[in-house]
Amino acid sequence: MGFLTILKKLRQKEKEMRILMLGLDNAGKTTILKRFNGEPIDTISPTLGFNIKTLEHKGFKLNIWDVGGQKSLRSYWKNYFESTDGVAWVVDAADGARLSACAAELRALLTEERLAAATLLVLANKCDLPGALSLQQIREALDLDSIKSHHWRIVRCSAVTGENLLEGIDWMLDDIASRIFTLD
Amino acid sequence: MSIAIRATFWVVTFGTIGYALFTLVKPDDELLKKFDEHSKNTDARKLSKQTIEQLKEAANQNSVLERLSRRDAQRLEKLQKAHKAREEVDACDENEDYFSGSFKIKSEYVEDLLAQVPTIDNSMLPSHFDIIKKEINELQKYVVTSTFFLKEFNLRKFLGIVQNLQTKCYELEDRYVPRKKFGFSKKKLPKSHSQKQNLMDEADGAAKKDSNKWDENLFGFSSKENEVLLLENDELYRRDVALRNLKNCTIGLKGLMGTLHLINLENCIVLSGPVTSSVFVDKCTNCKIVIACQQLRMHTSTKCDVYLHVTSKGIVEDCSQIRTAPYNLFYDNLEKHYESSSLDRNSNNWDNLDDFNWLAPDVSSPNWSVLDVSERIDSWDDWWSKIPL
Repeated sequence: MGFLTILKKLRQKEKEMRILMLGLDNAGKTTILKRFNGEPIDTISPTLGFNIKTLEHKGFKLNIWDVGGQKSLRSYWKNYFESTDGVAWVVDAADGARLSACAAELRALLTEERLAAATLLVLANKCDLPGALSLQQIREALDLDSIKSHHWRIVRCSAVTGENLLEGIDWMLDDIASRIFTLD
Repeated sequence: MSIAIRATFWVVTFGTIGYALFTLVKPDDELLKKFDEHSKNTDARKLSKQTIEQLKEAANQNSVLERLSRRDAQRLEKLQKAHKAREEVDACDENEDYFSGSFKIKSEYVEDLLAQVPTIDNSMLPSHFDIIKKEINELQKYVVTSTFFLKEFNLRKFLGIVQNLQTKCYELEDRYVPRKKFGFSKKKLPKSHSQKQNLMDEADGAAKKDSNKWDENLFGFSSKENEVLLLENDELYRRDVALRNLKNCTIGLKGLMGTLHLINLENCIVLSGPVTSSVFVDKCTNCKIVIACQQLRMHTSTKCDVYLHVTSKGIVEDCSQIRTAPYNLFYDNLEKHYESSSLDRNSNNWDNLDDFNWLAPDVSSPNWSVLDVSERIDSWDDWWSKIPL
């Protein structure tokens, strides 16, 4: 136990979290990141590579990694897995046609050993659009209820209106914090 | 008694005779060296001789200076040689421009050799192919030894060229100098790669079946042929619109949309008003697409002309022969739709697409180009009601 407490204390001092933002292309990962950071979201182009933003929230230092979701970039996702505390999986709720592809990618991601300890937050983005699927539909399509290996939660949100974004991230922070900073 | 006297006598006489001879003849160094060479001179002997020489020289005061100056001259000479060698080898050699230049010359030479194959006499062919193979090997070695200053992307490109030459060479050799088949009967094992491909295809197929479940959520047209299709703004307004599996159709979308999906279109014309977020183009061939949007994402499409207004950036992935031109559509309420779309009319990056399969910043992608002005269609007014040929 002694060793563990030392480890926890070390982590506690830093109070840093590494959050990985993944999802299919056009899900809105970069838009969410920019919305968090208070940057304009109307000039975003498809991510060729990745973006990193560091921001302070609730006394934690968040390193958010936003990695491009194009098919040719997905094979590089694994390079970002190391020491990730939380995964924000962004789903385009208005894009029903690619939900199954989205589910397959998520499945593959969850089997990844290096993400075994990460908290999973599913962001059903673009829910402000008229054609958006309901939370229940997405939950079924992604078969979230069968996920036992990770702490997970799904949140309906919109990067454009900012709705529910903070709630989702707050839950993820609390979950991660309760896991690694239990001495708080 | 007498024996002892005799012995001393003989010893003394032979000793004096020997000494006298030695002092008289006094073998010089040259002679000694010769003797040394002929005799089995061991290393130890050589070493001792060297040390003796050195000791001798050291004893001689004058020779120190001499030795030093000689050393200095040697050192200078060595430095000069190294300098020359360096100048010859690196510097100009070790940059990409020089490399690509000389690589081009060499690869063209190999291509010339390959082109000569059909004209060469049969008996000469094997040796000719040997030469080609040697050249290709040299070329490969040249690329591989240059890895440390080549960019990863360029390296792959050059290796690809070498690979092409190699396969070409083998093909030609198979055609002109068929090798004698060796006697084992070949059992063709399916390659693991193709197996994987099949698996992936199956997975894709399964995904397609599943996706049908959500099709009712999609608004738009699907599975039509040889038709003119038109939608107005009150139906389209800010919606997700999808056009799927169309052939020889003209699709007019006179309105403001949220997202537009163009999937599996063949020989179609798409005339579309402004789209507030993204336009997806997937598996389209031989189409003319007129769109205004914030982002354009094209996947696995070929031979498409895109008349484009994109405010952020368009990307292509696994595409070829894509040509772009500036957006030039007009219909009655276009201005109004533009205003409510919040697209900036002044920023248009139609001629600056990113290609995810071409990550070299300094060389433009071969998969897309700007449509020549003379080939552009100036007005779409007559196209709204016409089925494409």
